[in-house]
Amino acid sequence: MRYVTRKLAQTVFVVVVVTFLTSIALRFLPGGTDVIVALKTGPGATPEQTAKVLEELGLNKSLLGQYVSWVRDFVTGNWGTTFRTNQSIATEVKRAMPISLYLMIYGQIFALGLAVPTAVWSAYKQNSRFDRAATTSAFAMLSMPNFIVAPILILFFSVNNKWFPYPSLYTSLFDSPIDHFRAFALPTVTIAIPLYAGYMRVLRADMIGTLQSDFITTARAKGVGTGPMLFKHALRPSLFSLVTSAAVNIGALMGGVVVVEQVFSLNGMGRLTVQSVIGREYPTVQYSVVILALIYIFINLMVDLAYAWIDPRVRASRALG
Amino acid sequence: MGQLSTQSRRKPGRLLAVLVISAGLIGAACGGDDTSSKTTDGTSPGSETTGPGGSDTTAAVATTAPPPTSSAEMQPVPGGKVVMGIEADTSSPWRPSEMVCAIGCYQVIRNIYDSLAMANDAGSWGPYLASALTPNDDFTQWTITARDGVTFHDGTPFDGAAIVENLKRGKEGILTGNALRPVDTIEVDPADPMSAIVSMNTSWAAFPYTLAGQVGMMASPTWLAASDTDDTLKSKPVGTGPFVYADYKADESFTMTKNPDYWNAPYPYLDSIEFRVIPDGLNRRDALKSGTVDLIHTTNGETISEFRDSTDFPMVEIANNAETSYTLLHVTQEGSPLTDVRVRCALAYASDEQLLIDTIGAGVQQIAFGPFSPTQVGYLASTGFPEAQDMAKAQELIAAYKADFPGPLNLSLATTQDQTNLTIAQQQQQWWTEAGVDNVTIDQIDQGNYIVTALLGNFQVFQWRNHGGFDLDQQYIWWHSKAAPPVGELALNFGRIRDTQLDALLDENRASADPARKKEIAEEVNRLFGTQCYDLWGSYTVWGIAGKSTVHGVNLFTLPDGTEAPFGAGIAGTFYPMTLWVEQ
Repeated sequence: MRYVTRKLAQTVFVVVVVTFLTSIALRFLPGGTDVIVALKTGPGATPEQTAKVLEELGLNKSLLGQYVSWVRDFVTGNWGTTFRTNQSIATEVKRAMPISLYLMIYGQIFALGLAVPTAVWSAYKQNSRFDRAATTSAFAMLSMPNFIVAPILILFFSVNNKWFPYPSLYTSLFDSPIDHFRAFALPTVTIAIPLYAGYMRVLRADMIGTLQSDFITTARAKGVGTGPMLFKHALRPSLFSLVTSAAVNIGALMGGVVVVEQVFSLNGMGRLTVQSVIGREYPTVQYSVVILALIYIFINLMVDLAYAWIDPRVRASRALG
Repeated sequence: MGQLSTQSRRKPGRLLAVLVISAGLIGAACGGDDTSSKTTDGTSPGSETTGPGGSDTTAAVATTAPPPTSSAEMQPVPGGKVVMGIEADTSSPWRPSEMVCAIGCYQVIRNIYDSLAMANDAGSWGPYLASALTPNDDFTQWTITARDGVTFHDGTPFDGAAIVENLKRGKEGILTGNALRPVDTIEVDPADPMSAIVSMNTSWAAFPYTLAGQVGMMASPTWLAASDTDDTLKSKPVGTGPFVYADYKADESFTMTKNPDYWNAPYPYLDSIEFRVIPDGLNRRDALKSGTVDLIHTTNGETISEFRDSTDFPMVEIANNAETSYTLLHVTQEGSPLTDVRVRCALAYASDEQLLIDTIGAGVQQIAFGPFSPTQVGYLASTGFPEAQDMAKAQELIAAYKADFPGPLNLSLATTQDQTNLTIAQQQQQWWTEAGVDNVTIDQIDQGNYIVTALLGNFQVFQWRNHGGFDLDQQYIWWHSKAAPPVGELALNFGRIRDTQLDALLDENRASADPARKKEIAEEVNRLFGTQCYDLWGSYTVWGIAGKSTVHGVNLFTLPDGTEAPFGAGIAGTFYPMTLWVEQ
C-alpha cells in the first residue's frame, strides 16, 4: 500500500511540473507575445485585438495566475481555436487521439502477439534452425527504419495490388470494422516490425536464463508438460524486461507514430503535433504535448504497479520494506 | 517527398494564397507541387485559345481537350460520389473576406459559393450569380443585380442587401481590402432592393473580373453574422453554390452534398464530393493508383508525364491563363544591389531555367519569358527577357555594376523548407556565384512564415508562383506602386515595384474597355518586365486533372449569357466539379 501511495504522489508531482512548464511556455517564444498575436489575428492587429488575444491565452496574468486559468481551461475543455483554421483545438485533439491510440495499441498487440510465442519457442529450442532464423530476422528487422519499410509495403500492398488503401483513411471501428482494420493494417505492420524484433530478443534472452533455473528443473522433474512449463512457469518471471521495454517503448512509439502517420496520412496526434509545430499553432502544441505526457506518465504508473502483480517476489520485498 | 526528379518547382508555401484577393481571380502564388517543364504545342489538338481580341497572341496550345471520344459521347448520369485529392488545405477557412485561398481552396470553395461574375472563353466576363453588372458611362459606378429566385443554403434570400454585406466585408478585409481599394461606397439601390450600387473613386472597367473570384463570392449574411461571434462556425460555409457543406476536417477533408435546388440546372450531377488533402504530389498520385481517391489535380511533372500515356487514368491538362513560376525580386530595397537593373538582368542571364524544367520538371512545363502565359492577354513569345543562359553576359553586367559600386555584392535567397525548392535554390546560388555575386545565402523559411515575410518585404530574393488570370487588371495589386508601402508594412506588391511607367499602364488598363488597347497595354507591360528584369521568370504551370476511367465531366460549361466558362475561370488549374459525373 505504501508503495502505491508513493507512486501516486510521485505521479502527481510530475504532472504538476509538466503542466506548469507547458502552460507558461508561450511566454518564452522567440518574438514574444507579438508573434502569438500576429498568428492569431494576422499582421496589423489593433490594440483591442491584441488585448483580446492576450486575455484569451492568459498572457496578461502572473505565472501562477496563467497556470491556474490554463488548468481550468484544460479541465473544462475550453482549449480555444486554431490560428489557421478556426477549428476547436479540443475537437482536433479528440479527433486525432483515437487514431494514434489505435495505432500504438495495434502495434503493440501485433508485436507482442508475434514476439512472445516466437521468443518462448526460440529460447526453448535454442540454437535450432528456428532459433537461428528468428534471431537473424529480428536483427534484420531492427535495422530497417519505418520510413524504409512503409514505402515498400505501400508499393506492394496498395499501389500494385490494391489490397489496402493508401493513404490510409481513418474509419471508426464502430462504423465499419472492416474498413477500420484495412486502414490500420499497413501502418500497424510498419510500427510493429521493429517493436517485434526488440521484444523477441529481450524476452528470448530472459527466457533462456529462466529455463536454467532450479524451479524449472523441478517442474520438469515433476512431469509438468512443455506448454505449461514454458507459458505458466517460465514466462511470467521472464516478463520483467519485456514489460519494461514495452512501457519505455510507449514514449518511442509516440515519436514513431509521427513518421508513420505522416507517411500514411493518418491524422493522429503525431501528425497533429508536427503540423502544429511547423504551423506555429502554439496552443495546439501545448495541449498535444500535455496529453501525450499524461498518457506516458499514466502508463508508466500502471507498469510500476503491475510489477508487483507480475512477480510475487516484488510484492514480498515491498511488504518487508 | 522532395524527390529531385519531379517535385515542386517552387512551393512558396501554401499560405501564399493571399493572391486570391487579387483582382478576383488570381490563383495563388502558392505552391503546390508544381514542376516546371516544357509544355509544347500539341498538348491537345484543336484547343488553341487566344486572348481577348482574338488573334495571334498564342504560341503554344495550352489546354487539352476533354477525355476521349467515348466519354464525350456519353450522357451525364445523376448520382454517385467522387473523392478528389487536392494539394493543400486553406488558412482561415471559409469566410470569403478572410480565407487565404490557393488553388486547393478555390477547387473546394467554388462549389459552396457562386461568384457574381465569371470569366468566359471570349476573353471577357459574364454575369454568373448576378443577373447583370451594369456600369455607368465612365465606369466609376457599377450596379450589380442579384439573380431572381436564388437563396442561400440556409434559406436566406440572395438580394441586394446580401451583395452589399459581402462586398463591405471584402472591403474591410485586411487582404481583400486591397483588391477593392478603388471602391468608395457600396449600398443597396434605393430603387431596387435586388441591386447594389458600387461607386469608385476611379474608372474601373475591369471591376467584374474582381467579382469573378474570392471577392465576388457570396456567403449567406445570416451565416456571416452568426460566425462573427462563434469562430467554429467560420469553417462551415453557407453559400448558393451547387454543393452544400456537410463536413470539414482541417488538413484532412471537406465533404459536401448536392444542392437539390441549385439555380443553374441541371448541375450538379453528383450526390456528393469529398476533397481530401494530400499535400505530397507523389502520394496523391499513389492514392489515385491505389483507388483511395477517384480524381486528383497535380502539377508534378513526373505524374503528368506518366498519366499522359495512361489509359487507366485519363487526364485533362489545364494550362490556359496559367500561373508563372518565378523568382521574385525586391527591387526597391534601400542599399540593395537589386535596385540596379544590371544586377537583376545578370541574375537572369546566369540562370538556366530550361535545365531546371528538364531535370526537375520532367520536361512538362513551358519556359517563361514574362508573367503572362500563352492564352493570357499580353503574352509574347519574346519580351526582351533573357531566353537562354549567357554566363559571359551575366559576368559582364556584374562587373559593370561593381565598377560603379565597389565592394562585396551579397544576396539572400529565400525558399521554403521543401527539399526540391532547396535544390533549385542551391542551383541558383551556384549560377549567381559564378556570375560574380560574392555571397548568396539561402534562407529556408517555414511555410507559416513565408507569406508574412513576403507581405512585410523582409526579403531580397524569393521563390514564387503567381499571375494567372484573364485581364491585366488582375495584376494591379501585385505591381502598382500604390500597393508598395515601405518595408515593415503590409504590401501585396511584394517586390515593391515603383515604376511610373508601369503604374500609368496599369491605370490606363483599369479604365479601358477597349480589348485591342488592353492587349497593347498588356504587351507593353510584358516588355517592361522583360527589359527591367523585375522578376526572374521560370515556367508556366501545367495542371493535370487525372482520374479513374469511370469519372467523367471535367468539362467547360455554358454560362447564363451563352458564353462558355473556360477551365480555371481565372483561377489557374481549377475546373468545375459540378460538371462531374460517374458511371453508375
